[in-house]
Amino acid sequence: MRTRAAVSAALASAGILIAGWQSGVHIADSSSAVASAATGTAGSTGMGTGTGTGTDDSTASSGSSGAGTTGAAGASAKAVGTYAGSVVQTRFGSVQVQITVQAGKITDVTALQLTDAERKSVQISNRAAPLLRDEVLQSQSADVQTISGATVTSDAYLNSLQAALDAANL
Amino acid sequence: MQPTSELAGSVLKARTFGSMGTVISLTVPARALGTAAVPGTAGGGERELDAAAAAVERVFARADETFSLYRPDSEASRLARGELSLRAASAGMRDRYADALSWRLMTEGAFSPERPDGVLDLSGIIKGYAIGQAGAALRSRGITDWCLNAGGDVLVMGSPVPGSGAAWAAGVVDPLDRSALLSAYGLGGPGTRWALATSGSAERGDHIWTAGSRGVEFAQVSVAAADIVTADVLATAIVAGGTAMLHRATDGWDIDVLVVRRTGELLATPGFRA
Amino acid sequence: MNTQLLTSRPEVRRGSRGAVNPFSGQHRRRLLRADVLTVLFWASLAGAVALWLADGGMAGFSTPAGSFTALGIVAGLAGMDLVLLMLLLAARIPLIDHTVGHDRALEFHRKLGKPALYLLLAHGILIAIGYGMAEGLDPVSEAVALWVLVPDMWLAYISLVLFIAVVVTSLVAVRRRFPYEFWYAVHLLTYAAVLTALPHQFSVGGLFAEGTWQRWYWLALCIATGAALLYYRVAQPLVATFRHQLTVRRVVRVAPGVVSIEMSGLGLDQLAGSGGRFFIWRFLAPGLWWHPHPFSLSADPVSFDAAGQGTLRITVRNLGRGSAQLAALKPGTKVALEGPYGLFSTAARSRSHVVMVGAGIGITPIRALLESTPFQPGNATVILRGHSESELYLGEEILSLCQQRGATLFHLTGSRPAGVRTWLPETSARAGHRLASYDPNVADADVYVCGPAAWAQSVLEDARAASVREDQLHYERFDW
Repeated sequence: MRTRAAVSAALASAGILIAGWQSGVHIADSSSAVASAATGTAGSTGMGTGTGTGTDDSTASSGSSGAGTTGAAGASAKAVGTYAGSVVQTRFGSVQVQITVQAGKITDVTALQLTDAERKSVQISNRAAPLLRDEVLQSQSADVQTISGATVTSDAYLNSLQAALDAANL
Repeated sequence: MQPTSELAGSVLKARTFGSMGTVISLTVPARALGTAAVPGTAGGGERELDAAAAAVERVFARADETFSLYRPDSEASRLARGELSLRAASAGMRDRYADALSWRLMTEGAFSPERPDGVLDLSGIIKGYAIGQAGAALRSRGITDWCLNAGGDVLVMGSPVPGSGAAWAAGVVDPLDRSALLSAYGLGGPGTRWALATSGSAERGDHIWTAGSRGVEFAQVSVAAADIVTADVLATAIVAGGTAMLHRATDGWDIDVLVVRRTGELLATPGFRA
Repeated sequence: MNTQLLTSRPEVRRGSRGAVNPFSGQHRRRLLRADVLTVLFWASLAGAVALWLADGGMAGFSTPAGSFTALGIVAGLAGMDLVLLMLLLAARIPLIDHTVGHDRALEFHRKLGKPALYLLLAHGILIAIGYGMAEGLDPVSEAVALWVLVPDMWLAYISLVLFIAVVVTSLVAVRRRFPYEFWYAVHLLTYAAVLTALPHQFSVGGLFAEGTWQRWYWLALCIATGAALLYYRVAQPLVATFRHQLTVRRVVRVAPGVVSIEMSGLGLDQLAGSGGRFFIWRFLAPGLWWHPHPFSLSADPVSFDAAGQGTLRITVRNLGRGSAQLAALKPGTKVALEGPYGLFSTAARSRSHVVMVGAGIGITPIRALLESTPFQPGNATVILRGHSESELYLGEEILSLCQQRGATLFHLTGSRPAGVRTWLPETSARAGHRLASYDPNVADADVYVCGPAAWAQSVLEDARAASVREDQLHYERFDW
């Protein structure tokens, strides 16, 4: 009888664990599907050439980055790759980072998920959480139309990125 | 965000002018102007943009005349000097003062319409208010795709590619290297946030009064919200109120926040991560 | 003479050996229930881990930080699950009581205490390490950050401290240094510990985020545990107290320091057959009402009429401050009761043959059991153990019951041999007697043992040596 209890308990527990594991694998699959979907978007975003160094030249090149995009797309089979990091649990939820590599250089870093939006605990879902600089979209890969910064005085405007953008669009 | 190629197909037109001690930029997709102006005329769009910019400029000029503490003859300066009492001030002044007081209540004092020396200073709320009014002026002229940037505070409508539903991509300056961007945020488009305001403790160091006697925790705070006054006031309040105000703001308002600590570390709500 | 055979050994009816065992069905069902409970226990632990697996938890093991966090989450889930199981074991749920008995349920409850605490501590430490590694902080800074930044976490820290306090005060070594009341008061903090642990599970734990089935499962588990505690430990005792309307009828001195308390009440026919089982009594007299006394019935309840009006009896030895006052109870004192509890009854029987061994005050439940448990004449042996004849409480009653029902009775008196571990008096031990000497059929009998813990253990060892199987042994702790 003791054997019966031990065997049934082992079987039941194993069954429950396997069922849990199977549905867990299912979740992991769907999230990697999301990740690969995101890869496409992030990849195309990453094509833009840098506006980040802030000089008028680079901004201008951003304005005419169509060629750069096609070039990169053509080479994408070999030179472009997106890599999703593993999901890391933080006190603010799970974080997954994705990098885009072009010609051996990291061109784009995005956080694929803080957590799956609807699975996130509501109470802290919109709390500001620490992150590394490479976890936000980096400047050289961001093709932007306007720039937000702490109040720019008229004097400072001349050297600002916004001025460069405005100049490009005059 | 949209692929660059699509954006490249849409030419943006910009106008800039100085007002309220800063530079205001109005950016509009050329196609949007074309439809509003006489079709086929090349100069029509440009003239319409000039007219729109002039309307925006008038809104800012009027606000500056009334509220600037840098103009000795403004109503605000006369109030500050005690020549005028609030009771006798204009309805616009009293309304903004009432708004500012209600923001002080809502932010538990982190945002205040008074400087520590007791002088009434509505500049924290006026710029946002003026941007909002300028946006209303653009809408009333039938322009539905535009991006208005006043000294780093941004309000948008529509899309940089009219009809595409694409968001306006707003970069956020890195306060440690002002020639570089820290992040980008999609304004308008499919989202419900049309305004992005950034406050800092670096430039115009006395612009934001800190709550309590502690030093400023945050070098820069960017807030994305549905309206520019909320974004502007909360960005100011979070710089002043630190972590406690940051949590109150993210708990109490539907906003996204990107914070740069003085140490250079970042804090962000999920909206700034993807 | 210290070993007395008191009735002529009745004729063992040859036919009865081969007859159908009337208890085999009951026994089979009880073993089945025990197995089901065992399976449920492990399944609930597996379920807690499965919650995490189903959330894709295994993915966490791809990084060092993730591995720490994942282990921390699993430890927390398993720890909380154990805490809930411990509460259920202490909730006096009839299913558990009828299957393994109150004693073994509580023994298991005690055994789970340390593992549960270790898991909860591991949960806190591993999560701090895992999150810390993910965010570039040392575990201590991370723990502080969790406390300060994350809502409801401060409650979780308080909860952990309370759990530590509860488990430490329950360690045998520590528990002996303090009065029962102190331990009891600290143990009540368990409820505070569980309640303060709950908020962070639901507000911070991503696993239990709103809209997940995991949240509902966990909520259901917590609510069911709370409901079981409220129902069986609060509602049921109140109902029983009002139903039976017990009052003290008289207090009779049985021996020096030993009294029988007779109570009259209503609906006692419902308690028929609970002779030998124990209740928790509260005598509603000044200075006594707050003190719960666990005592077994020393006679099967007697009811006079169809309405169940009748009497109950417990026999109590003056052991502590509480029991001393019982001798002075005034007739008419109202009595609140919880119970009956325990498996020291016919419900535990598995064989037609029965051996009952009692020592000291532990003789009294044997007396009640002897009265009511079914056996054919010749199929029961009663062994009473005491220092002297006067310590074989209720000996007269037991003798006449044995004569009526055809049971063999032994009185074993005298002191233990020095330095030898035995349950027998010196002369019997020296003569090489064993349990099987008193009943040669013991291997095929139910063996009921009631007496002081160390003594009872050596009876049980003797029984096991006589190849009595574990499920034939029925043992009631009688330390009180």
